[in-house]
Amino acid sequence: MLQLKGRTNSSNVMKALWVLDEISLEYDREDVGGQFGKNRETPYLSLNPNGRIPTIIDGDLVLWESNSIVRYLASKHSLGTLCPADPADRARCEMWMDWQLTELVMDMVPVFHGLIRKPPEERDMEAIDAARDSWAGKWKILDDHLSRNAYVGGDSFTMADIPIGPIAYRWYELPIEREDFTNLKRWYDALCERPAFRTHVMTGLS
Amino acid sequence: MLKILGRATSSNVQKVVWICEELNVPYERTDIGGPFGGNDKAEYLSLNPNGRVPTIDDDGFVLWESNAIVRYLADKHGTGTPLRPDDVRARASADRWMDWTLSTLASTHVPVYQGLVRTPEAERDMAKIAAARDGWAKANEVLETWLADHEYLSGDEFGIGDIPASPFTFRWFNLDIEREDFPNLKRWHEAICARPAFREHVIDIGMH
Repeated sequence: MLQLKGRTNSSNVMKALWVLDEISLEYDREDVGGQFGKNRETPYLSLNPNGRIPTIIDGDLVLWESNSIVRYLASKHSLGTLCPADPADRARCEMWMDWQLTELVMDMVPVFHGLIRKPPEERDMEAIDAARDSWAGKWKILDDHLSRNAYVGGDSFTMADIPIGPIAYRWYELPIEREDFTNLKRWYDALCERPAFRTHVMTGLS
Repeated sequence: MLKILGRATSSNVQKVVWICEELNVPYERTDIGGPFGGNDKAEYLSLNPNGRVPTIDDDGFVLWESNAIVRYLADKHGTGTPLRPDDVRARASADRWMDWTLSTLASTHVPVYQGLVRTPEAERDMAKIAAARDGWAKANEVLETWLADHEYLSGDEFGIGDIPASPFTFRWFNLDIEREDFPNLKRWHEAICARPAFREHVIDIGMH
């Protein structure tokens, strides 16, 4: 059986949990990282030298980098559905998955860590506000894309929605100012209807 | 013909030009970004709302994010070759190094490269550069560990998993910085440097 290592409140682990449920694949999960530790110890580092989570073990493949895990599981178990078979359609999905890594997550980190994982007296509100403003600019780009597309990858739900989903949950749940992005909200509401998203992503902020 | 929009000195544009050469895909490149500008103009932003380079136009199919472009071109023109094997496990293993370059390697390298190459000496924050160099060395140690057991990042043979990290490794070995002794990283980098397309589009362009 596939093994997944990582604590459930990590947005990167959520991506893996979500895709596993979408494809109805059974797995064993072990808590690693955060308060559970183990990610800086030799047995884990021998699997993932970065000491980050998640890592999966599927037969003889040990894989880390959450977006690569999503892409691997979608292409192996859901080719033509979660992972489009046509190279151009697939590339359109992968472009937004990479965008989550290069653009969207960078601005989330100072806001989320500042407001959720730091005590109020240690918060740098100026840095949090600046990151929020920049983050809003990224959402505007996606909102515009979603004015022409039902989902991130096109007409239907695909692997492209998965890396961005947990970041969107935080955008909508954090105590911050939010612009009125109507297309983004429509897409987000559609995600909230998915049982796997509700189970693994809509779990509170910690 | 495939159009590539982006200046030749950008490491992200270099990845795309390099994979085109490896796949023998003809292309036309237009200088955009940096000293050439154009990336903040409405015409460009209508193709790529992020205003970054590169963007490609493949007979009307517009794509940005350099790693996504590399994957697309390899999937379209190189599936089943060592550059892009059919096996999903081999593909995933190579893909992880492309994502890792985005999530880990690029961000540690940026303050060092921008600080030493794009900032006048009098304005350099040497403490920040030194701290970033240490982070970059840690990232390179991850590569060193992998390359002790594997010929390439992609596996036994050169593949697209090797492309995103390579322009950064070229900078690591050519910037005026302290360097740890990473023999496997060096062996891999020398194998990359022996590839004519890397020589032409990364080494000969130099650091700007």
